[in-house]
Amino acid sequence: MSIQRTCDNLLEIRDLSIDFNTDEGPVRAVDNVSLNIRPGEVMGLVGESGSGKSVTAKTIMRLNPSNAIIQPSSSIQLRHQEQDINVLKLRGKEMRLVRGDAVSMIFQEPMASFAPAIRISDQIIQTMQIHLGISKEEARKAGVELFERVGILQPEKRFDQYVFELSGGMRQRAMIAMALSTKPKLLIADEPTTALDVTIQAQVLELMLELREQFGMGMLFITHDLGVISKIADRITVMKKGKVVEAGTTERVLFSPEHDYTKRLLDALPNLDNLPEAPPKEPKSLVSIKDLSVTYKLAGSARKQESFTAVKNISLELPKGQIIGLVGESGSGKTSLGKALLGAAPISSGTVHYNRKKHPVDFGTDKAVNRKKLAKTAQLVFQDPYSSLNPRMTVRDIIAEPLEAMKLTKNRDETDKKVIAIAKRCHIDVAHLRRFPHAFSGGQRQRISIARALVCKPKFIVADESVAALDVSIQAEILALLKELREELGITILFISHDLSVIANLCDWVCVMKHGELIEQGNVRDIFLDPQETYTQQLIASIPLLEKKSNTDIKQKTKPLAQTQDQRNHVWEAG
Amino acid sequence: MHVIANFIADTWLLWILLSIGGLLFWKGISSQYFNYVFNRYVLALITLLIVSGIVFSLMEVLPGDCAEKYIAYKNTQGETITQADIAAERARMGLDQPLAVRWASWVTDLTLRGDLGFSCAKRQSVNLALGDRFWLSFMFCMVGLIFAYVIAVPFGILSAFTINKGWQDKNPQHTKSERIINTLGLSFNKLLDLQLRIISYLGLALPNFLLALSIILLYVFAGEPTPTGLFSEQWKSVPWFGETGFEFGKLQDFLGHIWLPIFVIGWSATALQLQTVRALVVDESNKLYVDAARARGVDGMALWAGYPVRHSISPLFNSVGFDFQRIFNDLPIVAVVIGLTDAAALLIEALAQTNDQELAAGILFLVALVVISMNFITDIVLAAIDPRVRKSVLGN
Amino acid sequence: MIITRIFSKLRGKSANLEGDAYYTAGQMALIKARFKRKTTGVIAAWILGSIIFMGFFAGFFSPVDPTISGADKDYRRGAPQVVYFWDQNGFSFRPFTYTYQKEKAKIDLSALAGGGLAALDALTSSGALTSSSQNKYLIDEDKRRYLTFFVKGWEYSLIDLSMAGLDLDLRWDRHLFGVETGQIHLMGTDEDGKDVFSRTLHAIWITISIAIVALVVKLITSLFVGGVSGYFGGRVDTIMMSITEAVRVIPPIPIYLACAVALSQMDLTSIQRYFAIAVVIGALDFATLGRRLRTHILTERNQDYVLAAQLCGASTWRIIWRHLVPSFGSYIIVDTLINFPYVILAETSLSFLGLGLTEPVNSLGVLLQKAQDPDIQQNMIWQFFPVAVFVALIMAFVFVGDALRDAADPYAEKK
Repeated sequence: MSIQRTCDNLLEIRDLSIDFNTDEGPVRAVDNVSLNIRPGEVMGLVGESGSGKSVTAKTIMRLNPSNAIIQPSSSIQLRHQEQDINVLKLRGKEMRLVRGDAVSMIFQEPMASFAPAIRISDQIIQTMQIHLGISKEEARKAGVELFERVGILQPEKRFDQYVFELSGGMRQRAMIAMALSTKPKLLIADEPTTALDVTIQAQVLELMLELREQFGMGMLFITHDLGVISKIADRITVMKKGKVVEAGTTERVLFSPEHDYTKRLLDALPNLDNLPEAPPKEPKSLVSIKDLSVTYKLAGSARKQESFTAVKNISLELPKGQIIGLVGESGSGKTSLGKALLGAAPISSGTVHYNRKKHPVDFGTDKAVNRKKLAKTAQLVFQDPYSSLNPRMTVRDIIAEPLEAMKLTKNRDETDKKVIAIAKRCHIDVAHLRRFPHAFSGGQRQRISIARALVCKPKFIVADESVAALDVSIQAEILALLKELREELGITILFISHDLSVIANLCDWVCVMKHGELIEQGNVRDIFLDPQETYTQQLIASIPLLEKKSNTDIKQKTKPLAQTQDQRNHVWEAG
Repeated sequence: MHVIANFIADTWLLWILLSIGGLLFWKGISSQYFNYVFNRYVLALITLLIVSGIVFSLMEVLPGDCAEKYIAYKNTQGETITQADIAAERARMGLDQPLAVRWASWVTDLTLRGDLGFSCAKRQSVNLALGDRFWLSFMFCMVGLIFAYVIAVPFGILSAFTINKGWQDKNPQHTKSERIINTLGLSFNKLLDLQLRIISYLGLALPNFLLALSIILLYVFAGEPTPTGLFSEQWKSVPWFGETGFEFGKLQDFLGHIWLPIFVIGWSATALQLQTVRALVVDESNKLYVDAARARGVDGMALWAGYPVRHSISPLFNSVGFDFQRIFNDLPIVAVVIGLTDAAALLIEALAQTNDQELAAGILFLVALVVISMNFITDIVLAAIDPRVRKSVLGN
Repeated sequence: MIITRIFSKLRGKSANLEGDAYYTAGQMALIKARFKRKTTGVIAAWILGSIIFMGFFAGFFSPVDPTISGADKDYRRGAPQVVYFWDQNGFSFRPFTYTYQKEKAKIDLSALAGGGLAALDALTSSGALTSSSQNKYLIDEDKRRYLTFFVKGWEYSLIDLSMAGLDLDLRWDRHLFGVETGQIHLMGTDEDGKDVFSRTLHAIWITISIAIVALVVKLITSLFVGGVSGYFGGRVDTIMMSITEAVRVIPPIPIYLACAVALSQMDLTSIQRYFAIAVVIGALDFATLGRRLRTHILTERNQDYVLAAQLCGASTWRIIWRHLVPSFGSYIIVDTLINFPYVILAETSLSFLGLGLTEPVNSLGVLLQKAQDPDIQQNMIWQFFPVAVFVALIMAFVFVGDALRDAADPYAEKK
């Protein structure tokens, strides 16, 4: 342990550079990152996947995999008991200092971060015994108290359960309790709210703010969501491809961003002041849904046939040429409804009718789906861009699949022509058509998925959480593409999402679902600014919007673009 | 009174099976766990029934039948036999019945009183002919299994530990001396792992009979008496409890022989098990909860034993039944080479020499019974102790 | 570390897919590229390849006819003949071996004629009648026999497709090497004078071809069981799977044995017998692969891309053919390769018990069976040569299979 006195920062990262040894040679994951956190301060670390934010956080706890090489120039100093400790020089048992003692971590997926076959209580007690050296009974008592404090109902009972017996929100609370059990000075939270539903996300954020006040610890809060960060952080560091592109106080970064990249991230946030007006004339309905119910038969119980009704008696008209948002939390039945419109979910009652002049399509309980007719009318863009593309087919074959499956073209040349045309429209490089899907990133794969859906010129597209797996800046590109396609081709899009920000940015018409029922529908402006139902109000209230802490004129402070380019590697020491 | 006693003596097994089933069913009404156990129990019985069908019909392909053997035996006694006699004998034994009928009567006898039938070649009941030999084979397999687990588990874990590590410590954060020490440690581990892998692959590549032969050959070259059979000539006829109490000399002699079959069947089982353990532990140690535990300051043995290893035990335990089957599969040939007299040797004899269908079917059925019971036990034990299994089979 | 450096060099040389090639590479090409990164796997693959190559063209590589007609009557039970480049008589660029001659029996029969029991005792105790003395040959170091290459010898069929119904039987009489006069026995001879080296080479291909037939049969049965079960699901699946479960529980070797015994009762030619055994081994081994295929089909069937194809209007047949079949194609190939050694082991086990193939057929099992003979164990240790080849073959298969398993694992790329 080398001991130095430099300044009064709780944590100070200087020139951190990390390489990963891969089969293709070393890859730099973190490049010259500097960052500091003062005691009791919340530092927000923002960036997309692959920006190196998680690697940085793990390095603080010395949790890097063995193929990560920390360059010699790097240093991480942690202030502990009036001494500055060089974290990178810790060896063996000394590492406990940053692993739980002074620093602890909240992981993104609470389900995967608790050992599945060990009771939560045992895991927490073990942690407390390692670091605090207290007896089992004391640890237990303290643990139950913590559970109560993080707002877990019936803490005594929950404490002794296994992680899968808790609900999503409870799990994250238990994870927070675990992280706090050793009374750390620094809490690292790695996307703690990303996997949660909006309403629960708001609750957990609230809790973390409260706990921070109570415990007075510093926090490194990692997220890709600027809305979330605006609620909790004092200062923000923005990372991109391993480098810090912008750093400063929350006010400064969010309301007068200097780097192009930060601005782009900010653009992805919902702008409730600028929602589109309702069209003057009510558009005609393209799809009419009448009393639609979707019921799944549950497997496993042979004796009594159990079933689960995901969609309950929904009647709905989908206006033509619009982007309709379908919002709901997990388990609300929104995906089932979307699939039912494509004839891919078991309809137990009701009908679906596509109002097309020449080729009307309808199906329902007493009329089976005409697959080919429907395929030419309605298509699906999937949620997961990885599993929805057959890894054994080239991009050209994937896009051509509907044409070839339904034999819509006369020969291969015609197919190729159509494929190339649609690929261009979806901004896919034509030279890439003979590649396999594994060569593409998530955003590009989603473009392929869209191209496949559009190649047979359908009138209606269901986009099922189609941007949920993508980074914010890529999301924006795909959303722009969808808008563009709507304008140019006049297609109607049913956009299913749990993310209200995306819905607000994209849709004209919004439907809200809860527990399989339609709660409310209306023009996007009405829904977001004047929601009628309590549930919708709750949802809207929990959107993490930018919180303006000062009301100074933002626009004037924005610096010209050229200047920010030079500051790319500069570390901001604002505040 | 006498009739009842007879009736019970003839049907005791059925009553036991039924009462276990009834008990489980009754318990299952109120408890989800016992409901699961009951389902497993019924499933195990159904599988056993199918096994008996397969085994019984398979034995039909062996040449000859009981009547021929019986007549052949009589022939040696000096009686002249005609084809008509054989046919009459067949009718008397019920061998002219269709396969399904004979199978049904075999299964009925089996479920009523655990009667495996009558061996015509040996001219005694299969139960008697087998006697303790089945237990001997069972013990061989169990000890071989334990041997395999005792070696495979620690070394498999060690192997998993080295799998994603390099030969060298190149971390620039370490001082020079640290790097040298770490590199030495890593290379040692890696070399050990490589050796283990070669040994374990050798265990897969060397058929058991070859391994046994090679060991015997070594004894031949060394001029020592080969440790074939279970006892040497000297101790063969000496009882375990002689006039001077327990015969330790016999025990010593026994142990001097018994290690060979166990070692031979243990090796290939170890080889396979080593790979399984390695794959399981590697799988578990890549999971996020291990990182999370590390982030809480759990380290060293507590981390490895408490997290990845602890979580890979139940899938490992789950395969015990099939490991047993695999070991028994190898046993007959080893028995031939080493000259054992257990059930496996009997099986070879019955199949290849005396065409003793009843005996062979009996042995195969018993092996399947052991495997199915083991599967049944591991299933219900795991459902009782492992919360992950409990969740997947019982729901929440 | 030197070893690391060698490894990294080998790795550098191996053709990593670069640039566009990586992106346009299909699933098999990716597996291949990943396989090439595994040094042990590549080495094992080369060893395996050469063993199989030599086995396939056994006629060309073996200097002596392995059948009884090629047996060397003057060199029965003979030890391996060593090939030299130099000896006390000088150095030679052409490798040579010596002339071997049977030691004249030193048995004085005339003594027997006149003498009584004492003479007989002397004869037996002199060791002249023990089997080990029968292997004694005199080496005449002055009579060198030089090796010649591409020598003309017995005629063999290089490629014989007559069995497949084609009228193509390519015959040749050249061999890779031989000696000027007489025969060369690199690995000695057996009790009939048959060349052990040549027999082993011929046995390799027979054993492998049995394994191939067995694996093809296994594949068909597994595909049938797994496909029907996975595709139809429901009650069919339940019944199929409980039968598979029951088959899985019974140890397979006794079942093979029973079938082999039944086969031995039938009047079959050696070729029919050979196929019958392969079919038995293959047909009864469907449980594991069948189960896996079923699970595979069940999981693939629920993949998003299959739903995507359905929504594209693709018919059921098109989905099976274009999407499902390719999805387990590479998997099946890998699994088959991994199973090779186990099938070979099953065949050898049967032959070892005398119930598989039998003399005079050359299979590795038949040759291994001889290792049981105490006479061979004590006096003709060179007849263990097939054992060494066998172990090398299986080891190579296992190493290749292991590397292939890692390469085919889609998650391997992550780390």
